[in-house]
Amino acid sequence: MRVAILVFWSLWLAACTPRVEVVVPDKPITVNLNVKVDHEIRVRVDRELEKLFEQEQELF
Amino acid sequence: MRWLAMILAATLSLSAWALDLQQAKRQGLIGEQLNGLVGVVQGGGQVNAVASDINRKRLESYRDIARKTGTSLAVVQARAGQLNIERTPSGQYVQLADGRWQRK
Repeated sequence: MRVAILVFWSLWLAACTPRVEVVVPDKPITVNLNVKVDHEIRVRVDRELEKLFEQEQELF
Repeated sequence: MRWLAMILAATLSLSAWALDLQQAKRQGLIGEQLNGLVGVVQGGGQVNAVASDINRKRLESYRDIARKTGTSLAVVQARAGQLNIERTPSGQYVQLADGRWQRK
C-alpha cells in the first residue's frame, strides 16, 4: 500500500513538473507590460518637464 | 529681513543668469544637447561658467522629476533633450547624435 502511494506520488510529481516549466516562458505579456509602463512614464515625465519649463524659464 | 535679502539675491542672480543664457544662445555660443543639458558651441571662461551653472540647476530639477515619476535620471534627461531640441527656435544651435553642432 505504502509503495503504491509512493509510486503514485512520484508519478504525480513527475507529471506536474513539466507543466510548471511550460507556464514560465510567457514573453508577449511581459513585453506588452513594458511598453505600457514606458509609455506611462514618458507621459508623466513629459508633463513634469513642461511644468519645469514654465516654472524655471531662466534655465531653458 | 535676512530672508528678504536672500530671496532678493536669489531672484536677482537668477534673472542675471537668464539674460546671459538667452544671450549666449542667441549669439550661438551655447546650444541644446540630447542629454537635456546645454553645451558650449564656442566661447571662453564666462560661457563655460554660464553653461555649468545652468546644467547644475537643470540636473537638480531632472533628479526631482525622476524621483517623482519613479524613473531614472537617464530617462528624464533623454526626454528633456528631445523636448529642448524641439523647442529650440531656428537660428540657434542643437547638437546631433554624433556630437556635431548644427544651426537649426
